[in-house]
Amino acid sequence: MVENYAVLPCNGLDKCAGVISRELAIKLCENVKNEIICPVFYRVAEAKYNKIAGKRPLLVIDGCQTRCASKLAAEKSLKISRKVTITEEAKNHNIELRSNLRLLENENALIEIILNELNNDEDKVTLFSDETNVVYNFEYVTFQNGKFIFRVPKNPEVYYNENDCWAYVIGNRARIGVTDFVQQNLSDILYFTPPDIGAEIDQFGEVGEIESSKSLIDIISPVSGKVISINETLVQKPELINENPYELGWIAELELTDFEGDKELLIGFDKYFEIMKKKVEDLNG
Amino acid sequence: MSESTFMGVERDKIDWKPIINYTKCDYCMECVKFCPHKVFEVRESEEIKLIVRNPNNCVVFCRACSKICGPDALSFPDKSATTQRIKEIRKEMESNG
Repeated sequence: MVENYAVLPCNGLDKCAGVISRELAIKLCENVKNEIICPVFYRVAEAKYNKIAGKRPLLVIDGCQTRCASKLAAEKSLKISRKVTITEEAKNHNIELRSNLRLLENENALIEIILNELNNDEDKVTLFSDETNVVYNFEYVTFQNGKFIFRVPKNPEVYYNENDCWAYVIGNRARIGVTDFVQQNLSDILYFTPPDIGAEIDQFGEVGEIESSKSLIDIISPVSGKVISINETLVQKPELINENPYELGWIAELELTDFEGDKELLIGFDKYFEIMKKKVEDLNG
Repeated sequence: MSESTFMGVERDKIDWKPIINYTKCDYCMECVKFCPHKVFEVRESEEIKLIVRNPNNCVVFCRACSKICGPDALSFPDKSATTQRIKEIRKEMESNG
């Protein structure tokens, strides 16, 4: 069950997705021990809601991709534990949202689906692999620009793409993640959206998202394959990506499907290090 | 930040940029605020108030702006076709020495 959450919904009452967010939040707080944060009142009564958010994990419900609720959470420096985006859920379940501001059959059906999904999430977690005991023997090379330090592993088993993601390849598996360039640019990472276990990912396909108060990025997979595990710890502690994006902050593990083909568009340490240095210098003028 | 090449291929040979669906776009300009690469340009006095001004600044395979687009008005070229095309260009470059 989804309980003991602080629920921060979008309150966009001029859009169907906003109305659904609001209703979903009400239902979550009606049936179980969750507590709602009113996004409108939060702006004028910060203390009340900071107390609630300080005591409970935060569930954010965004109506659409404008992500007002997520942005409000970032503005208030709240760590998001769970997130739902109504328009994405509607798309995933082939439910068309129109412009009506009253809840009709489709909208109520979507709310029920999301409620069920949220309540079944605990079962999902048990599917994740807890295989986190990969032994890293990374040898880092460091580049400093001002106060920012960028580390890059130079081991030959680590491959990179120009989208600042790495793949540590062992046999037919690869562990993947983002580089220091990404985490330094994003600054404090507040939210991690993992890929689905079992998802088939193409090379350069999206393998999750990370979000900070500054920005949101897609994690662009260096390799193609099937997701066999994710770093479950990051869901609760996305800041581990800032601490070390190569070890504790890894993103997912893939069973490789065409590594020989992927290699054509992968680069090794030497090339990536030069590219990254140039990007850092360009950014800092 | 403008990258002149991607995987050794000249950036302007790679067709990767956001495509604006003007029937959906409500000119909220969230994409302009979001994209640090200045891909978009606002044209306040024109009828079409938002254009893709610097397509080559767009990071190849990045689709993040489409994620933050409330009205879902941004799309991108097919990723597999783009990957394939990059591989072909690299092969052509190799065979041309």
